Amino acid sequence: MTLLSHSLSIDIGGTFTDFTLHDSETGDLSVHKVLTDPDDPTSALIRGAREILTNAGTAPAALRLVVHSTTLATNAIIERSGAKAALLTTKGFRDVLEMGREQIYDMHDLHARFPEPLVPRHLRAEAPERTDRDGNVIERIDLSVCARVVDELVAQGVESVAVSLLHSYANPQNEIALKDHIESRHPDLPLSLSSEVAPVINEYERTSTVVADCFIKPSVSRYIRGVERELSEEGYSGRLLVMHSAGGVMDAAAARARPVRMLESGPAAGALAAGFYSELIGEPDLISLDMGGTTAKTCVIEGGRPSRANSIEVARVHRFKVGSGLPILMPVLDLIEIGSGGGSMAWLDSLGRLRVGPQSAGASPGPACYGLGGERPTVTDANLVLGYLSPDYFLGGRMSLDGEAAERALGALGAEMGMDAVDAAWGVYSVVTENMAAAARIHIIGRNKDPRSYAIVAFGGAGPAHACEVARILGASRVVVPLGAGVTSALGCLAAPLSFESVRSMPSLLDRTDWDSVESAFAEMEAWGRDMLASAGVPVYGIRVERSADMRLAGQIHEIDVPIPDGRLSQASASQIEADFHRIYQELYSRRNLSLPIETRSWRLLVSAPKPDLALRERESSSGADASLALKSSRRAYFPNAGGFVECPVYDRYQLAPGSEIRGPAIVEEEEATTVIRPGDGAKVDGWLNLVIALGHGG
Amino acid sequence: MTNSQNFDPVSLEIMWSRMLNVAEEMWTTILRTAVSTIIASANDFGCEVLDAEGRSLAHAYRSMPVFNMTMPNVAKEILKKYPVESMRPGDVYMTNDPWMCAGHLPDIAIVSPVFHQGRFVGFAGNIANTSDIGGSLDAKSVTDSYEEGIFFPLCKLYDGGEPNELAFDMFRWNVRGPDMVLTDIEAQVAANHVGARRISDFLDEYRLEDLTTLSEAIRGRSESAMRKAISDLPDGEYTNHVFTDGMGDPLKIQVRIEIRGDEILVDFDGSAPQIDRGGLNCTMIYSQGHTYYPLACLLTPDVPVNEGCFEPITVTAPKGTIINCDFPVSVGSRVNTGWYIHGCIFGALSKAVPDRIQAGNGLMSSIHTYGAEADGRIFNAHLFCGGGRGATSQGDGMGLNMFPSSASNVPVEVFEVNSPSLIVSKELMEDSAGAGRHRGSPGQRLVVGKLPSYPAPLNIYLHPNRLSFAPQGIFGGRAGTKTNVIVNGESVSEDPSSMTRGSVTLSAPEDRLTLEFSSGAGAGDPRERPQDMLERDALNGLVSERAAQFVYGR
Repeated sequence: MTLLSHSLSIDIGGTFTDFTLHDSETGDLSVHKVLTDPDDPTSALIRGAREILTNAGTAPAALRLVVHSTTLATNAIIERSGAKAALLTTKGFRDVLEMGREQIYDMHDLHARFPEPLVPRHLRAEAPERTDRDGNVIERIDLSVCARVVDELVAQGVESVAVSLLHSYANPQNEIALKDHIESRHPDLPLSLSSEVAPVINEYERTSTVVADCFIKPSVSRYIRGVERELSEEGYSGRLLVMHSAGGVMDAAAARARPVRMLESGPAAGALAAGFYSELIGEPDLISLDMGGTTAKTCVIEGGRPSRANSIEVARVHRFKVGSGLPILMPVLDLIEIGSGGGSMAWLDSLGRLRVGPQSAGASPGPACYGLGGERPTVTDANLVLGYLSPDYFLGGRMSLDGEAAERALGALGAEMGMDAVDAAWGVYSVVTENMAAAARIHIIGRNKDPRSYAIVAFGGAGPAHACEVARILGASRVVVPLGAGVTSALGCLAAPLSFESVRSMPSLLDRTDWDSVESAFAEMEAWGRDMLASAGVPVYGIRVERSADMRLAGQIHEIDVPIPDGRLSQASASQIEADFHRIYQELYSRRNLSLPIETRSWRLLVSAPKPDLALRERESSSGADASLALKSSRRAYFPNAGGFVECPVYDRYQLAPGSEIRGPAIVEEEEATTVIRPGDGAKVDGWLNLVIALGHGG
Repeated sequence: MTNSQNFDPVSLEIMWSRMLNVAEEMWTTILRTAVSTIIASANDFGCEVLDAEGRSLAHAYRSMPVFNMTMPNVAKEILKKYPVESMRPGDVYMTNDPWMCAGHLPDIAIVSPVFHQGRFVGFAGNIANTSDIGGSLDAKSVTDSYEEGIFFPLCKLYDGGEPNELAFDMFRWNVRGPDMVLTDIEAQVAANHVGARRISDFLDEYRLEDLTTLSEAIRGRSESAMRKAISDLPDGEYTNHVFTDGMGDPLKIQVRIEIRGDEILVDFDGSAPQIDRGGLNCTMIYSQGHTYYPLACLLTPDVPVNEGCFEPITVTAPKGTIINCDFPVSVGSRVNTGWYIHGCIFGALSKAVPDRIQAGNGLMSSIHTYGAEADGRIFNAHLFCGGGRGATSQGDGMGLNMFPSSASNVPVEVFEVNSPSLIVSKELMEDSAGAGRHRGSPGQRLVVGKLPSYPAPLNIYLHPNRLSFAPQGIFGGRAGTKTNVIVNGESVSEDPSSMTRGSVTLSAPEDRLTLEFSSGAGAGDPRERPQDMLERDALNGLVSERAAQFVYGR
């Protein structure tokens, strides 16, 4: 039997489906991109997979692993195209899902709307039952009533059922009884329990999460099965792994069982890729700048690991307005949206401020320079006018850009501001970069860290064109642009370990903790996680277990993540945990509060397989490497710190050998992305063909 | 670019966004470090950045609107009382003076001067509704301000970093649950620290000496936007009046709005005289805030609010009225008056801006429990419940909400964990939504009992709104519903004078307090409601068969 050496990753985005193929024998990495087919994503996936394998001269049967991330789950929620789902709640609370937090997200818009609930009121039913705040069942669940209700829902064509009962995080007994009863009557009906999907206090957020899970379950399940089948028909006999939002991968069965974990898995893959590069280049603290067609996202990497959060909001009615979307409680990589993308449109608001986005020209009509009828100036138009993009090498020359159209669009915008097209273009570029930097800075500072100590790893179609300016504003000293920056997210899939995280809500003051119960909860969570890994084929050897707790000062709403030491827990562990809490609290808020007791809300446990071996081929740097061999042309590009337009060399990224050095101003082109190096900055190509740019001190 | 009086569009956008972000970061700091349900869960607070003259530049976007409007007054009073030369880093000012700050004692303003390169450049400030300020638990029973709790005249909470022990001791000995109250105040102080540091960093980064030119630019642009919006309105005089519940007898709010060119005068002459009990009186600063806010919604919804917005607006009211009350009348429940100003103004301007106004809004009500758990721990928990939002000519009412407050509800699970209560149900009411081509949002019914295992009686303090007057529809839309208070199946709110006592005691495990909160009113003739929208409401049990037939004319 030959040893299988290739791994393939597939990331389906809104516009493109990206592929990376890694050969663990040689460390070679190849990339590929095809247009996403929203009506039949699987066929584009299969076609692209065939192409990248053919180009690499290998076959599906030679693949060791296929890892997948997709926006499908997120889109099903945004477009409300999921299942006809039902919700069962405690009697008297079926409207919790629709009431939400009753908080207006835009105080001045009298016409604002809340998001539509995923389950309409007529499909929300009630179960006679009640558990109190301490987890005591004070009213046993009436299963005969529930059975009747569920039968009626099924008769109405309901395709899946979510269950969310009050205080089920404290005691899931009634939810479990209901599940057993429903399963006995409707064995094929997909079911999601809030105590399994998000066993956390706060009935609205917990219900929203379990409803999202159940809403996308039938379609995601069908989709995953379809991909598995088609891959197997191609000759692939290995397992399909799916990226989850916390930056690990799960096997296909786990994804089908809890599809909510697939939300935002594409961006998570990007953050994970940043984590991968952080280790590769030995830069433990960095921030990712992932800028695509419509948005830019960032994630802070510390000690080589992307930072994490415990909730996310999806499908916002207004993109930048917190509270206008659906809350999902689950472990996620802490990605925040910091700004616009290449297609975002620039406009002058009623206050005379130059704004960029959030409206995007999309792919059609697209930026003015696409020549498809778009007239409003976009970020891409500005980059073209400034000379950063080539009219002839967009997507490697597969598409030509209309410079005059871009200039017209920016000229019109400039006229409104008393500027010419070039100044307007620079204005657009500045607003985009300044606002991204400001948002990233707040995110970093919010973690009480200094942005100047971070390097930036830039990717996504538009990231490398803006990264150096963002770095300058942040005061960061280095920018790393990986080769294939346009498809870096897909690579992240291959860097993800198989992992499963579970959480158990057991609110208690730290000094009153029932340590035996905590120990047994951890034991159960660990056993479950190990089972999941075992059933996904992971050998026992090398499995890592990490424990943590969500803690806060008694009464606070926001919890902080405190690591829990290894070994058996007892009252003696409390003092160490308490000290850790105060240390982290002080790091976050620069203040200590010793007057209030510490409270634990939930205990978390993560089991993960060893990280996959994703060694890239490191090439020898040669001192004689000569960047001029990669010089392909020159054009005028705009750099205010050099006095305006200057003649700027353009390099072919694929011809740059390790060790080559480039002095700014310079432009480096590859098919899916263009890197802009400012005057005063200098770049060097490292052994993995990354462009490592050191920022000069000039303004 | 930074020294010019006129910021170019690029710098203006970048720097203005930064100021908004500073306020946002202050807001997040309070959210994350406060402990009471009213602040941490219900978000009853606001954060602001102000210039060296005490003029507001930016606020966090979920800040309580009325706090945004009243905070500058506190800053200006600080400047009068404490000369700039006397200020030093580490100073923190505090007051809860209802006539200076936000209209009742629980709203505590915490304001810190900001220094840059040793020079005073502005303020970072916030106002938050503390969980307790002492005084009577029954807000309706009070006859003057002295019964409503402790009053802190403008003072220093910290002097050059040193705590004012007298102020802290006053809290320790005069409020219920002082640990909770003082931890929240710490959160407020922490937010200002964050804000002050960020403002100084910002000035460094842009090589600005102070906030003066930026402040001029921000306020100037906003003022022009407001003036332009006013100019677009037809000149004239617009009047309206509404009634509030009062203490058994309704209280009148009378408004006259005069639009001349690019300025607006709002006058409340003709409103009811101040009342001697029940805390229903509004201070002038508070009424002014609740006048500015609806005008900002109508006229400049896209402008991040700052002081420039209100330069063209003058608000007047005769002294001694419920709109402009004198010290020391009681003011604790001033929302029961002040929150009716919006509807009064929207009604008055229905002819001037018919496409923008909102039909009558069900208003938020709240309940509050206080006592000792079986193990002796003190509990003190608030539960905010939204009213249904009024429809507009553009769409149905937005669902349950706290307008004109930016607060959030408190999750049932969180409320129960924080008090020995049992919420039996919380649901939307059929046929409650004010009918219309666009309907209001339905109201909610809340049923409360005590936790069966709790041995003592449970006192619940009520702060209901809209007991006597339902929110009114516009352009043919129907009214919403009034609030009903029902104790063990019997309505106690039919006779408004019976609601002058503000608490209910649940003694037996089967005792039930039922609150049917007001819904939103409709906009336009219900018979013109599109069939598919009507059928959807019918399917969802929000409109009964009968109402579909007789009100909507199916």
